[in-house]
Amino acid sequence: MTTTSIPLTHEQADAFGKELDALRLAVAADLGERDVRHIRWVIGTAHRSEAAGRVLLHIGVGPLSFLLGTSALALSKILENMEIGHNVMHGQYDWTGDPALASKRYEWDNVCPGDDWRHSHNYEHHTFTNVLGKDRDIGYMLLRVAPEQRWRPIHLTQPVAAAILALLFQWGVGMHDLRTDELLSGKQSPKQFYRRTRPFLRKAGWQLFKDYGFFPALALANAPRVALGNLLANGARNLWTFAVIFCGHFPEGVTMYHQDETAVESRGQWYVRQLNGSANIEGGRWFHIMTGHLSHQIEHHLFPDIPASRYPEMAPKVRELCARYGQSYCTGSFRRQLGSVAKRILRLALPGPSVQRLRDPISTAAAERTTPLRRAA
Amino acid sequence: MTSQPLISRAWARARDTVSRRLFLDRQAAFWLNELDPLLSLTGVRARVVDVIDETPDTKSFVLHPNTAWRRHRAGQHTVIEVEIDGVRMRRCYSIASAPGHWPIAITVKRVPGGQVSSWLHDRVRPGQVVGLDQPAGDFVLPLRRPGKLLLLSGGSGITPVMSILRDLAARAALEDVVFVHHARSQAEVIFGAELRQLADRHAGLRLVVRTDDDPSGPPGFDESRLAKQVPDFGERSTYLCGPAPMMKRAEALWKSVGATQRLTQERFVAPVLATPLTGAGKDVRVTLLRSGRTVVAGGEGSLLDQLERAGERPANGCRMGICRTCTCRKTAGTVQNLITGEVSSAADEDIQLCISAPQSDLQLEL
Repeated sequence: MTTTSIPLTHEQADAFGKELDALRLAVAADLGERDVRHIRWVIGTAHRSEAAGRVLLHIGVGPLSFLLGTSALALSKILENMEIGHNVMHGQYDWTGDPALASKRYEWDNVCPGDDWRHSHNYEHHTFTNVLGKDRDIGYMLLRVAPEQRWRPIHLTQPVAAAILALLFQWGVGMHDLRTDELLSGKQSPKQFYRRTRPFLRKAGWQLFKDYGFFPALALANAPRVALGNLLANGARNLWTFAVIFCGHFPEGVTMYHQDETAVESRGQWYVRQLNGSANIEGGRWFHIMTGHLSHQIEHHLFPDIPASRYPEMAPKVRELCARYGQSYCTGSFRRQLGSVAKRILRLALPGPSVQRLRDPISTAAAERTTPLRRAA
Repeated sequence: MTSQPLISRAWARARDTVSRRLFLDRQAAFWLNELDPLLSLTGVRARVVDVIDETPDTKSFVLHPNTAWRRHRAGQHTVIEVEIDGVRMRRCYSIASAPGHWPIAITVKRVPGGQVSSWLHDRVRPGQVVGLDQPAGDFVLPLRRPGKLLLLSGGSGITPVMSILRDLAARAALEDVVFVHHARSQAEVIFGAELRQLADRHAGLRLVVRTDDDPSGPPGFDESRLAKQVPDFGERSTYLCGPAPMMKRAEALWKSVGATQRLTQERFVAPVLATPLTGAGKDVRVTLLRSGRTVVAGGEGSLLDQLERAGERPANGCRMGICRTCTCRKTAGTVQNLITGEVSSAADEDIQLCISAPQSDLQLEL
């Protein structure tokens, strides 16, 4: 269901922001043992799944133990990447004082260095969400995922590029903050680029050694089996995270912004952009955990440092707020959202007709001439 | 670390790097914890073995530390770490047991409204595991025991001097020791029975217990009474621990007789910082522990703005409290959270510079 959002005046956006602030405060004040127990349970599950997976791969023989082992390993990698890594690094558990959950020190099990991620994701992406030219997550500087992006001939290859990116997603994420696009456009000097690559090459080197050197070596005769299992588990994690993450900002119904629209932005207007720039995926409890609660991309973008397991209980209140303020709440099934993204990647590979700009929810000029807000029932 | 040869230090560093890069450190920590929460490769943990009621508002906690624990010296303290409703909290307590005694014990007085002391009193049971720091502190006897000793305490300040006393008793070295203690009433004398037993058994120990409800003189610490009861106090090596007002008066008394160098003090409360300011904009001194600089901050805006105006360049990102890039540890001082309005004076807490405003002089790990 994609209705367009009503543009809000300054006052309306401020009121909207204040209500969201109040919701955030209420949940932040309620955080406690239950949240710590949840994340530790997920961490425990990931460890147990990894141990089971490795044991099956290392000492098992035959295809069944290979399949089960690889699946268990993939599950642990997905949990570690999504529910644990992404959320811990956002600072969602900094309030606990537990050094194992400290956002600035956490390293996750893929080729992207934690510091690079904290910079490009926590700061850049969450501050400049969906602002064309500033949010480098839009198409990951590679794909044309919104009609507002200018078409270039290279985009003709993007269905293939997207498929490759999906299979090797951890490498795309890992190299994202190297800012190769800026090197090619001249905005970044080769010297700066070289300095940037050091932490990435170190992390990637250790990851390759771990997955294709160290663990296979431990398995002696089973080394090839273990290496292949690790490769497939990494690939499965890549595909899953690619699919979930691409559903976050690229399905039909999500708004892109131009820099002039967002140059001066109040806190309320920041909330409005975060809301309109994100999309949710419907699903059950286990689905939410497997996506690291990025199925609640909207709530995540409104409250990035609130523990993600709280998003499902915050969602009904956010939806109610959106209804009252005439804002569209973009959500749908996994199949629908992913299908919408796939269609876009295919359609936008071709040069389209003139840019179709969705109604701008932030522009005050548009807002002054429009409808008052729907009153709460 | 400097005592270790170069080779073994390099080996330790390499081992740490490999275990970190292969995530083996995380695995080890998890599985050890699954096996037994007491086990840890990285720190001291202790199992609560017994909880003893000393007085109506004081309990002793007998703790069995893991093998990482280094034996303490009498009078030292440790830091206990507990998790209360998901949040890890740390508090400093003197180790009340003698070094030769195993397991160790700390004695905790319930502080009205105190989070950790209340939790320890109300929720801790034998079998639970807590975190500890290695013992530390200079409130210890020198290796050659001084000839004349005075152990002077008030209220819960008895804990470190009790450790010293128990150690001397265990070593049969209780000659010419005067133990002066102040409490509100007989019932509130912590270790009262044990003190009387020690005095009975050891002729060299002289025990003076003064309670506030004793009508024969003014309540609390009194200079002339002490001078009368212990005329040679200025000649004794004195170990003092008690409430701040008592310690202040005792310190002045020792200074007045020129005996300051024989007085050793143990403080439970950090010296009071500059009185908290109300209202924004007043200048505060911010000590940056890592760079060694002290800057004067003040004026409009968040702590981040103020530090930048003072010429500092702390790491920052969104400048609105979301991305956490500016998170830094405040080791002392009071700040106000500009978003929630909450004021906090906690020692050792992480704050976000872009949404905090200083309310007093600060110490930051920057």
